[in-house]
Amino acid sequence: MMTVEKMSRVGRIAPMQRPRLEVVSDWAENRDARPVRGNGVLAGDLKHDLIALLPRLRRFARALTRSVPEADDLVQEACLRALSRSDQWDPSQPLDRWMFRITRNLWISEIRKRQVRLGEGQVPAEEATDLVSHATGEASVALTDLGAQIAALPEDLAAILLAVSVEGYSYSEAADLFAIPVGTVMSRIHRARKALAQKIDASEGAAR
Amino acid sequence: MSGYEEKLSAFLDGELPEAEARNIEAALARDPSLQAELDALIAADAAVGQVFEDMLAEPVPVDLARAIRDAPLGEAANRSEAPRFGLSRLASVLALAMLGLGAAGGYLAGVSNAPEIAAPAGWLADIADYHAVYAGQTRHLVEVGADEADHIETWLTATVGAPVNIPDLSGNGLTFQGGRLLVAAGKPVAQLMFTDVDGDVVALCLIRSETPQSGFETRAIGAFDMVTWGGEDANFVMVGDRGREDLSEIARRAATEV
Repeated sequence: MMTVEKMSRVGRIAPMQRPRLEVVSDWAENRDARPVRGNGVLAGDLKHDLIALLPRLRRFARALTRSVPEADDLVQEACLRALSRSDQWDPSQPLDRWMFRITRNLWISEIRKRQVRLGEGQVPAEEATDLVSHATGEASVALTDLGAQIAALPEDLAAILLAVSVEGYSYSEAADLFAIPVGTVMSRIHRARKALAQKIDASEGAAR
Repeated sequence: MSGYEEKLSAFLDGELPEAEARNIEAALARDPSLQAELDALIAADAAVGQVFEDMLAEPVPVDLARAIRDAPLGEAANRSEAPRFGLSRLASVLALAMLGLGAAGGYLAGVSNAPEIAAPAGWLADIADYHAVYAGQTRHLVEVGADEADHIETWLTATVGAPVNIPDLSGNGLTFQGGRLLVAAGKPVAQLMFTDVDGDVVALCLIRSETPQSGFETRAIGAFDMVTWGGEDANFVMVGDRGREDLSEIARRAATEV
């Protein structure tokens, strides 16, 4: 069992530093004159926490959209949506997970709108992301080679990989976030890693 | 192949039932090519993790933080659906242009400078937004680390257009961590980051000014306290968490050093 545990941790990326929520709650306690909304969320603190979350939200949005300007639009919309629904946020739940969900849902609905505009009608979310290909173009120029390879992954592979490998989602949590079966998470993670492993191998081969 | 190959990622993620994981372990022990597959996946995961980690260090457009700070609460849902993406797109493109080229900076500076009084408040509000973004980034606190202190001074001095000197604040229990270049109110700003023994972040920011402020002023913006003062061709601000008692002392110490 030890070996299994050990093996499965090998090469795992340490989960990113979470925003310092303990500090945030200190602020909440120290401030008494702030307007209290809904279930007691301090609106000013939510804004502050959202701003602190921006680097990770932008990263997630970039994995979804594969485009820097689109990612920033999406993040802004997601944050405004969250602020307009701050009474729906359960502060006992992590803000990052709530925001990733809002961001992902907004992106899916944006894609569906574009499909309708293009006259292609409604498509299942599963297939929808595949039809948006911003993988090439100026947005990816600044990325490293591997960054471009990640952006070029089809469907929502990059975002699923980010959620599981970096943000610490379990397969069942990722299945919930992306509204796909656990088995699909498993196969997409594997496809993503395998594709990237092959690219790395190929580029190392070329360098030799 | 063994049929185990496609389960290697799940194995790596600790997502397989124990019995299946044992089977994979046994297969790995007897099949070097399977082990090689696993090693390649592990290497790919590490490389991908690095790419994603590096993204966190990229500058956040201050317009994005500003849009959140200024957003109405509980009202956005009432807006019409249609113009959403389009309108915010413009803001983002502007923000990117500003950060990338500095060319649009004039536009934004013009906007925020229009009323004479708005300018200093504007840059301080931007500084507060940046502080909220970066002070929580323990691993990406700075753009250039303290080990390149000389480079930080020359780089930021050249970019900001006013002398940037790193003060020695060790007497106040602060350790220099490094620097960042920010854009606030459309102008370049040097940001020097310090941490205390508890890991709390205090930042010294400097912006070029033709008319530096006289004397020290203390104010609170958002979750932060700020002490501002003027120096040679520049305005300074020391930023720390709200209620930090030694901030004024730190600022006065820094003022003698910069």
